[in-house]
Amino acid sequence: MKWKNLQSKMESLVPAGIDLQQELKWIRILLTASFLYSFIFLLALSNAYQGLFIYVAKKKVLMDGAIMPDFVKLLGNSLAGFLITVLSMIGILLYHYLYHFQGSKSIYLMKRLPDRWELWKRCLSLPILAALVSFCIAAVLLIVYFGIYLLITPEICLLPNQWEKIWEAFFKAGRHI
Amino acid sequence: MLEIKNLNKSYIGKQALTQVDLKLEAGEIIGLFGENGAGKSTLMKCILGYLQYQGQILLDGEAVTRKNIARLSFATSEHSFFPNLTAGAHKDFYEMHFPDFREKRFRGLMEFFDLSFQKPLKSFSTGQKNQFEVILALCQGADYILMDEPFAGNDIFNREDFYKVLIGILEPKETVLLSTHLLEEVENFIGRAVLIRHGQIVGDVSMTELEEEGKTLVGYVKETYQYKADRVSRALSDLTDEA
Repeated sequence: MKWKNLQSKMESLVPAGIDLQQELKWIRILLTASFLYSFIFLLALSNAYQGLFIYVAKKKVLMDGAIMPDFVKLLGNSLAGFLITVLSMIGILLYHYLYHFQGSKSIYLMKRLPDRWELWKRCLSLPILAALVSFCIAAVLLIVYFGIYLLITPEICLLPNQWEKIWEAFFKAGRHI
Repeated sequence: MLEIKNLNKSYIGKQALTQVDLKLEAGEIIGLFGENGAGKSTLMKCILGYLQYQGQILLDGEAVTRKNIARLSFATSEHSFFPNLTAGAHKDFYEMHFPDFREKRFRGLMEFFDLSFQKPLKSFSTGQKNQFEVILALCQGADYILMDEPFAGNDIFNREDFYKVLIGILEPKETVLLSTHLLEEVENFIGRAVLIRHGQIVGDVSMTELEEEGKTLVGYVKETYQYKADRVSRALSDLTDEA
Protein backbone atom coordinates (compact mmCIF):
# COMPACT_ATOMS: atom_id res chain seq x y z
CA MET A 1 0.00 0.00 0.00
CA LYS A 2 2.82 2.38 1.00
CA TRP A 3 4.69 1.54 -2.20
CA LYS A 4 1.57 2.25 -4.26
CA ASN A 5 1.14 5.61 -2.53
CA LEU A 6 4.77 6.50 -3.17
CA GLN A 7 4.45 5.48 -6.80
CA SER A 8 1.32 7.56 -7.30
CA LYS A 9 3.02 10.49 -5.54
CA MET A 10 6.01 10.11 -7.88
CA GLU A 11 3.70 9.88 -10.90
CA SER A 12 2.14 13.20 -9.93
CA LEU A 13 5.60 14.77 -10.29
CA VAL A 14 6.06 13.83 -13.95
CA PRO A 15 3.94 14.48 -17.05
CA ALA A 16 0.79 12.38 -16.99
CA GLY A 17 1.27 9.06 -18.75
CA ILE A 18 5.04 9.30 -19.08
CA ASP A 19 7.03 6.11 -18.38
CA LEU A 20 8.34 6.98 -14.93
CA GLN A 21 10.11 3.65 -14.42
CA GLN A 22 12.03 4.12 -17.65
CA GLU A 23 13.13 7.62 -16.60
CA LEU A 24 14.15 6.41 -13.14
CA LYS A 25 16.12 3.59 -14.78
CA TRP A 26 18.09 6.07 -16.91
CA ILE A 27 18.76 8.30 -13.93
CA ARG A 28 19.99 5.28 -11.95
CA ILE A 29 22.27 4.29 -14.84
CA LEU A 30 23.70 7.83 -15.03
CA LEU A 31 24.30 8.01 -11.29
CA THR A 32 25.84 4.53 -11.15
CA ALA A 33 28.14 5.32 -14.09
CA SER A 34 29.13 8.60 -12.42
CA PHE A 35 29.84 6.77 -9.17
CA LEU A 36 31.97 4.14 -10.88
CA TYR A 37 33.82 6.79 -12.88
CA SER A 38 34.69 8.58 -9.64
CA PHE A 39 36.84 5.57 -8.70
CA ILE A 40 39.56 6.96 -10.95
CA PHE A 41 40.34 9.22 -7.98
CA LEU A 42 41.08 6.15 -5.84
CA LEU A 43 43.32 4.86 -8.59
CA ALA A 44 45.18 8.17 -8.82
CA LEU A 45 45.45 8.31 -5.03
CA SER A 46 46.79 4.79 -4.88
CA ASN A 47 49.44 5.56 -7.53
CA ALA A 48 50.46 8.81 -5.80
CA TYR A 49 50.64 7.03 -2.46
CA GLN A 50 52.84 4.28 -3.89
CA GLY A 51 55.09 7.01 -5.34
CA LEU A 52 55.84 8.29 -1.84
CA PHE A 53 57.77 5.17 -1.00
CA ILE A 54 60.79 3.30 -2.17
CA TYR A 55 61.66 -0.28 -1.43
CA VAL A 56 64.88 -0.89 0.41
CA ALA A 57 65.64 -4.55 0.94
CA LYS A 58 62.01 -5.39 0.26
CA LYS A 59 60.94 -2.91 2.92
CA LYS A 60 58.71 0.02 2.08
CA VAL A 61 60.42 3.23 3.12
CA LEU A 62 59.12 6.79 2.83
CA MET A 63 61.24 8.78 0.45
CA ASP A 64 63.05 11.84 1.76
CA GLY A 65 61.17 15.00 0.82
CA ALA A 66 58.31 13.01 -0.71
CA ILE A 67 55.25 15.20 -1.28
CA MET A 68 51.73 14.00 -1.91
CA PRO A 69 50.12 15.89 -4.82
CA ASP A 70 47.26 18.21 -3.88
CA PHE A 71 43.88 16.58 -3.31
CA VAL A 72 42.26 18.62 -6.08
CA LYS A 73 44.94 17.51 -8.51
CA LEU A 74 44.30 13.87 -7.70
CA LEU A 75 40.57 14.42 -7.78
CA GLY A 76 40.87 15.77 -11.34
CA ASN A 77 37.59 15.25 -13.19
CA SER A 78 36.62 12.11 -11.31
CA LEU A 79 33.34 13.71 -10.22
CA ALA A 80 32.55 15.03 -13.72
CA GLY A 81 30.00 12.25 -14.22
CA PHE A 82 27.77 13.88 -11.64
CA LEU A 83 28.04 17.22 -13.43
CA ILE A 84 27.09 15.49 -16.69
CA THR A 85 24.13 13.93 -14.88
CA VAL A 86 23.02 17.37 -13.69
CA LEU A 87 23.37 18.81 -17.20
CA SER A 88 21.50 15.92 -18.78
CA MET A 89 18.56 16.80 -16.54
CA ILE A 90 18.09 19.86 -18.76
CA GLY A 91 17.43 17.39 -21.56
CA ILE A 92 14.86 15.55 -19.42
CA LEU A 93 13.19 18.86 -18.59
CA LEU A 94 12.90 19.69 -22.29
CA TYR A 95 11.59 16.21 -23.02
CA HIS A 96 8.96 16.62 -20.31
CA TYR A 97 7.72 19.84 -21.86
CA LEU A 98 7.78 18.53 -25.43
CA TYR A 99 5.99 15.37 -24.27
CA HIS A 100 2.84 17.51 -24.12
CA PHE A 101 3.00 17.87 -27.91
CA GLN A 102 3.46 14.17 -28.70
CA GLY A 103 0.47 12.33 -30.14
CA SER A 104 -1.86 15.11 -29.01
CA LYS A 105 -1.72 18.66 -27.67
CA SER A 106 -2.10 17.87 -23.99
CA ILE A 107 -0.33 21.19 -23.49
CA TYR A 108 -3.77 22.77 -24.06
CA LEU A 109 -5.13 20.94 -21.05
CA MET A 110 -2.10 21.66 -18.89
CA LYS A 111 -2.26 25.36 -19.75
CA ARG A 112 -5.86 25.70 -18.66
CA LEU A 113 -5.65 23.91 -15.34
CA PRO A 114 -6.70 26.07 -12.39
CA ASP A 115 -3.35 25.28 -10.78
CA ARG A 116 -0.91 27.39 -12.81
CA TRP A 117 2.10 25.48 -11.45
CA GLU A 118 0.94 22.00 -12.36
CA LEU A 119 2.65 22.01 -15.77
CA TRP A 120 5.94 23.24 -14.31
CA LYS A 121 5.68 20.92 -11.32
CA ARG A 122 5.38 17.98 -13.69
CA CYS A 123 8.15 19.18 -16.03
CA LEU A 124 10.67 20.26 -13.40
CA SER A 125 10.29 18.07 -10.32
CA LEU A 126 12.06 14.91 -11.45
CA PRO A 127 14.99 16.68 -13.18
CA ILE A 128 15.50 18.93 -10.14
CA LEU A 129 15.27 16.00 -7.72
CA ALA A 130 17.71 13.95 -9.79
CA ALA A 131 20.10 16.92 -10.07
CA LEU A 132 19.95 17.41 -6.30
CA VAL A 133 20.60 13.72 -5.66
CA SER A 134 23.51 13.85 -8.10
CA PHE A 135 24.89 16.95 -6.38
CA CYS A 136 24.50 15.38 -2.92
CA ILE A 137 26.25 12.15 -3.94
CA ALA A 138 29.09 14.20 -5.45
CA ALA A 139 29.36 16.26 -2.24
CA VAL A 140 29.37 13.14 -0.03
CA LEU A 141 31.99 11.47 -2.26
CA LEU A 142 34.11 14.62 -2.16
CA ILE A 143 34.09 14.55 1.65
CA VAL A 144 34.70 10.79 1.80
CA TYR A 145 37.53 10.97 -0.74
CA PHE A 146 39.08 13.91 1.06
CA GLY A 147 38.86 11.94 4.29
CA ILE A 148 40.60 8.96 2.68
CA TYR A 149 43.25 11.31 1.27
CA LEU A 150 43.96 12.79 4.69
CA LEU A 151 43.83 9.41 6.37
CA ILE A 152 46.33 7.63 4.17
CA THR A 153 48.72 10.50 3.43
CA PRO A 154 51.64 10.68 5.90
CA GLU A 155 51.39 14.05 7.59
CA ILE A 156 54.92 14.99 6.56
CA CYS A 157 53.97 14.57 2.89
CA LEU A 158 50.89 16.78 3.01
CA LEU A 159 51.02 20.16 1.36
CA PRO A 160 49.34 22.92 3.35
CA ASN A 161 45.95 24.59 2.68
CA GLN A 162 44.26 21.57 1.10
CA TRP A 163 40.79 22.66 2.13
CA GLU A 164 41.30 26.15 0.74
CA LYS A 165 42.53 24.66 -2.52
CA ILE A 166 39.35 22.64 -2.82
CA TRP A 167 37.24 25.79 -2.46
CA GLU A 168 39.49 27.61 -4.90
CA ALA A 169 39.06 24.83 -7.47
CA PHE A 170 35.33 24.79 -6.80
CA PHE A 171 34.93 28.51 -7.48
CA LYS A 172 37.21 28.30 -10.50
CA ALA A 173 35.04 25.53 -11.96
CA GLY A 174 31.94 27.55 -11.12
CA ARG A 175 33.30 30.51 -13.06
CA HIS A 176 34.01 28.26 -16.09
CA ILE A 177 30.45 26.93 -16.02
CA MET B 1 -21.84 35.80 -20.04
CA LEU B 2 -18.66 35.52 -22.07
CA GLU B 3 -17.92 38.87 -23.62
CA ILE B 4 -15.31 39.57 -26.25
CA LYS B 5 -14.59 43.24 -26.78
CA ASN B 6 -12.54 44.71 -29.60
CA LEU B 7 -10.34 41.64 -29.87
CA ASN B 8 -7.35 41.95 -32.16
CA LYS B 9 -4.75 39.31 -32.77
CA SER B 10 -1.88 39.38 -35.21
CA TYR B 11 0.81 36.90 -36.00
CA ILE B 12 4.06 38.05 -37.53
CA GLY B 13 2.99 40.12 -40.50
CA LYS B 14 -0.57 38.79 -40.53
CA GLN B 15 -3.72 40.10 -38.92
CA ALA B 16 -5.59 37.02 -37.65
CA LEU B 17 -8.46 38.72 -35.82
CA THR B 18 -9.69 42.28 -36.29
CA GLN B 19 -11.97 44.11 -33.88
CA VAL B 20 -13.94 41.06 -32.86
CA ASP B 21 -16.93 41.83 -30.64
CA LEU B 22 -19.03 38.92 -29.46
CA LYS B 23 -21.27 38.08 -26.55
CA LEU B 24 -22.07 34.51 -25.59
CA GLU B 25 -25.04 34.36 -23.26
CA ALA B 26 -25.39 31.51 -20.77
CA GLY B 27 -27.26 28.54 -22.19
CA GLU B 28 -26.70 29.32 -25.86
CA ILE B 29 -25.49 26.83 -28.45
CA ILE B 30 -23.57 28.83 -31.01
CA GLY B 31 -22.12 27.63 -34.28
CA LEU B 32 -18.93 29.37 -35.38
CA PHE B 33 -18.45 29.14 -39.11
CA GLY B 34 -15.82 30.26 -41.58
CA GLU B 35 -13.35 29.00 -44.13
CA ASN B 36 -10.07 27.43 -43.16
CA GLY B 37 -7.84 30.16 -41.79
CA ALA B 38 -10.75 32.51 -41.13
CA GLY B 39 -9.75 32.82 -37.46
CA LYS B 40 -12.08 30.36 -35.69
CA SER B 41 -9.37 28.46 -33.87
CA THR B 42 -7.45 31.64 -33.13
CA LEU B 43 -10.55 33.14 -31.54
CA MET B 44 -10.99 30.10 -29.30
CA LYS B 45 -7.32 30.04 -28.37
CA CYS B 46 -7.50 33.71 -27.42
CA ILE B 47 -10.55 33.04 -25.23
CA LEU B 48 -8.65 30.24 -23.47
CA GLY B 49 -5.60 32.42 -22.99
CA TYR B 50 -3.30 30.30 -25.14
CA LEU B 51 -2.48 33.31 -27.30
CA GLN B 52 -1.60 36.88 -26.47
CA TYR B 53 -4.07 39.40 -27.85
CA GLN B 54 -5.22 42.99 -27.73
CA GLY B 55 -8.68 43.71 -26.42
CA GLN B 56 -10.81 42.29 -23.65
CA ILE B 57 -12.28 38.88 -22.92
CA LEU B 58 -14.54 38.88 -19.89
CA LEU B 59 -16.26 36.04 -18.12
CA ASP B 60 -19.19 37.48 -16.19
CA GLY B 61 -17.37 40.80 -16.12
CA GLU B 62 -14.02 39.40 -15.02
CA ALA B 63 -10.90 38.69 -17.06
CA VAL B 64 -10.24 35.02 -17.72
CA THR B 65 -7.58 33.94 -15.23
CA ARG B 66 -6.62 30.76 -13.43
CA LYS B 67 -9.31 31.59 -10.90
CA ASN B 68 -12.15 31.16 -13.36
CA ILE B 69 -10.51 29.19 -16.17
CA ALA B 70 -12.23 25.99 -14.98
CA ARG B 71 -15.48 27.54 -16.21
CA LEU B 72 -14.15 27.07 -19.75
CA SER B 73 -13.53 23.72 -21.36
CA PHE B 74 -12.09 22.91 -24.75
CA ALA B 75 -12.41 20.06 -27.22
CA THR B 76 -10.18 20.24 -30.25
CA SER B 77 -9.58 18.07 -33.28
CA GLU B 78 -5.89 18.27 -32.31
CA HIS B 79 -6.89 16.51 -29.06
CA SER B 80 -5.81 17.67 -25.64
CA PHE B 81 -5.78 14.39 -23.71
CA PHE B 82 -2.76 12.28 -22.75
CA PRO B 83 -2.37 9.48 -25.33
CA ASN B 84 -0.60 7.16 -22.88
CA LEU B 85 -3.25 7.42 -20.17
CA THR B 86 -6.41 5.34 -19.98
CA ALA B 87 -9.85 6.91 -19.90
CA GLY B 88 -10.09 5.95 -16.23
CA ALA B 89 -6.82 7.73 -15.45
CA HIS B 90 -8.13 10.81 -17.28
CA LYS B 91 -11.19 10.75 -15.06
CA ASP B 92 -8.92 10.73 -11.98
CA PHE B 93 -6.81 13.55 -13.42
CA TYR B 94 -9.84 15.71 -14.19
CA GLU B 95 -11.42 15.01 -10.80
CA MET B 96 -8.19 16.08 -9.14
CA HIS B 97 -8.02 19.39 -11.04
CA PHE B 98 -11.63 20.27 -11.74
CA PRO B 99 -13.78 20.09 -8.60
CA ASP B 100 -17.02 20.29 -10.63
CA PHE B 101 -16.15 17.29 -12.79
CA ARG B 102 -19.35 15.50 -13.78
CA GLU B 103 -18.57 11.91 -12.92
CA LYS B 104 -22.06 10.60 -13.60
CA ARG B 105 -22.20 12.25 -17.03
CA PHE B 106 -18.73 10.88 -17.79
CA ARG B 107 -19.74 7.30 -16.98
CA GLY B 108 -22.97 7.67 -18.93
CA LEU B 109 -21.27 9.00 -22.05
CA MET B 110 -18.46 6.44 -21.86
CA GLU B 111 -21.06 3.72 -21.70
CA PHE B 112 -23.17 5.25 -24.47
CA PHE B 113 -20.22 5.43 -26.85
CA ASP B 114 -18.93 2.08 -25.67
CA LEU B 115 -15.44 3.38 -24.86
CA SER B 116 -13.02 1.40 -22.74
CA PHE B 117 -11.92 2.69 -19.34
CA GLN B 118 -8.85 0.50 -19.31
CA LYS B 119 -7.22 1.00 -22.69
CA PRO B 120 -4.77 3.84 -23.26
CA LEU B 121 -6.16 6.56 -25.50
CA LYS B 122 -3.49 5.96 -28.14
CA SER B 123 -5.14 2.60 -28.89
CA PHE B 124 -8.50 4.29 -29.67
CA SER B 125 -9.60 4.88 -33.27
CA THR B 126 -9.70 8.49 -34.51
CA GLY B 127 -13.46 8.57 -34.07
CA GLN B 128 -13.20 7.25 -30.51
CA LYS B 129 -10.48 9.77 -29.71
CA ASN B 130 -12.76 12.57 -30.91
CA GLN B 131 -15.61 11.20 -28.85
CA PHE B 132 -13.44 11.04 -25.77
CA GLU B 133 -12.13 14.56 -26.35
CA VAL B 134 -15.69 15.87 -26.44
CA ILE B 135 -16.71 13.76 -23.45
CA LEU B 136 -13.93 15.33 -21.38
CA ALA B 137 -14.99 18.83 -22.42
CA LEU B 138 -18.60 18.09 -21.54
CA CYS B 139 -17.77 16.54 -18.19
CA GLN B 140 -15.22 19.02 -16.89
CA GLY B 141 -18.01 20.94 -15.21
CA ALA B 142 -17.47 24.06 -17.31
CA ASP B 143 -20.15 26.62 -18.09
CA TYR B 144 -18.67 27.49 -21.48
CA ILE B 145 -17.69 24.58 -23.69
CA LEU B 146 -15.57 25.49 -26.70
CA MET B 147 -15.34 22.91 -29.46
CA ASP B 148 -13.00 23.35 -32.39
CA GLU B 149 -14.04 21.00 -35.18
CA PRO B 150 -14.42 18.17 -32.70
CA PHE B 151 -15.97 15.67 -35.09
CA ALA B 152 -13.34 15.73 -37.85
CA GLY B 153 -12.89 12.09 -38.73
CA ASN B 154 -16.15 10.79 -37.23
CA ASP B 155 -18.74 9.09 -39.39
CA ILE B 156 -22.16 10.64 -39.94
CA PHE B 157 -24.00 8.25 -37.58
CA ASN B 158 -21.56 8.97 -34.88
CA ARG B 159 -21.93 12.70 -35.30
CA GLU B 160 -25.71 12.46 -35.33
CA ASP B 161 -25.57 10.53 -32.06
CA PHE B 162 -23.43 13.19 -30.57
CA TYR B 163 -25.73 16.05 -31.52
CA LYS B 164 -28.66 14.23 -29.97
CA VAL B 165 -26.74 13.42 -26.83
CA LEU B 166 -25.55 17.01 -26.57
CA ILE B 167 -29.04 18.43 -26.78
CA GLY B 168 -30.20 15.86 -24.26
CA ILE B 169 -27.57 16.36 -21.60
CA LEU B 170 -26.78 20.06 -21.67
CA GLU B 171 -28.09 21.99 -18.71
CA PRO B 172 -29.64 25.46 -19.10
CA LYS B 173 -26.55 27.32 -17.93
CA GLU B 174 -24.15 25.40 -20.18
CA THR B 175 -23.04 27.29 -23.27
CA VAL B 176 -21.48 25.68 -26.33
CA LEU B 177 -19.40 27.44 -28.96
CA LEU B 178 -18.97 24.95 -31.77
CA SER B 179 -16.64 25.59 -34.67
CA THR B 180 -17.39 23.33 -37.61
CA HIS B 181 -17.73 23.15 -41.39
CA LEU B 182 -20.71 20.82 -41.13
CA LEU B 183 -23.36 23.51 -41.60
CA GLU B 184 -26.30 21.33 -42.57
CA GLU B 185 -25.68 18.87 -39.76
CA VAL B 186 -25.66 21.39 -36.97
CA GLU B 187 -28.40 23.59 -38.37
CA ASN B 188 -31.08 22.06 -36.19
CA PHE B 189 -28.89 21.77 -33.18
CA ILE B 190 -27.55 25.31 -32.76
CA GLY B 191 -29.50 28.36 -31.67
CA ARG B 192 -27.26 30.98 -33.21
CA ALA B 193 -24.75 31.20 -36.02
CA VAL B 194 -21.68 33.40 -36.02
CA LEU B 195 -19.73 33.83 -39.25
CA ILE B 196 -16.12 34.80 -39.33
CA ARG B 197 -14.14 35.79 -42.39
CA HIS B 198 -10.57 37.06 -42.67
CA GLY B 199 -10.54 37.50 -38.89
CA GLN B 200 -13.71 39.58 -38.73
CA ILE B 201 -17.21 38.75 -37.61
CA VAL B 202 -19.27 39.12 -40.77
CA GLY B 203 -22.50 37.56 -39.59
CA ASP B 204 -24.32 36.88 -36.35
CA VAL B 205 -27.85 35.56 -36.50
CA SER B 206 -30.21 33.48 -34.39
CA MET B 207 -31.68 30.39 -35.99
CA THR B 208 -35.15 31.68 -35.12
CA GLU B 209 -34.50 34.80 -37.21
CA LEU B 210 -33.34 32.66 -40.11
CA GLU B 211 -36.39 30.49 -39.79
CA GLU B 212 -38.68 33.51 -39.77
CA GLU B 213 -37.00 34.81 -42.91
CA GLY B 214 -37.36 31.39 -44.49
CA LYS B 215 -33.62 31.01 -44.98
CA THR B 216 -31.41 28.01 -44.41
CA LEU B 217 -28.08 28.27 -42.64
CA VAL B 218 -26.23 27.30 -45.81
CA GLY B 219 -28.17 29.96 -47.70
CA TYR B 220 -27.35 32.58 -45.09
CA VAL B 221 -23.66 31.69 -45.15
CA LYS B 222 -23.53 31.84 -48.96
CA GLU B 223 -25.35 35.15 -48.94
CA THR B 224 -23.07 36.64 -46.31
CA TYR B 225 -19.98 35.35 -48.06
CA GLN B 226 -21.38 36.62 -51.39
CA TYR B 227 -20.87 33.16 -52.78
CA LYS B 228 -21.09 33.15 -56.56
CA ALA B 229 -23.04 30.05 -57.46
CA ASP B 230 -21.91 30.20 -61.08
CA ARG B 231 -18.20 30.41 -60.32
CA VAL B 232 -17.64 26.69 -60.86
CA SER B 233 -19.42 26.61 -64.22
CA ARG B 234 -17.60 29.77 -65.31
CA ALA B 235 -14.24 28.34 -64.25
CA LEU B 236 -14.98 25.10 -66.07
CA SER B 237 -16.01 26.89 -69.22
CA ASP B 238 -12.83 28.99 -69.02
CA LEU B 239 -10.78 25.86 -68.64
CA THR B 240 -12.46 24.08 -71.50
CA ASP B 241 -12.48 27.20 -73.70
CA GLU B 242 -16.22 27.04 -74.28
CA ALA B 243 -17.87 30.06 -75.74
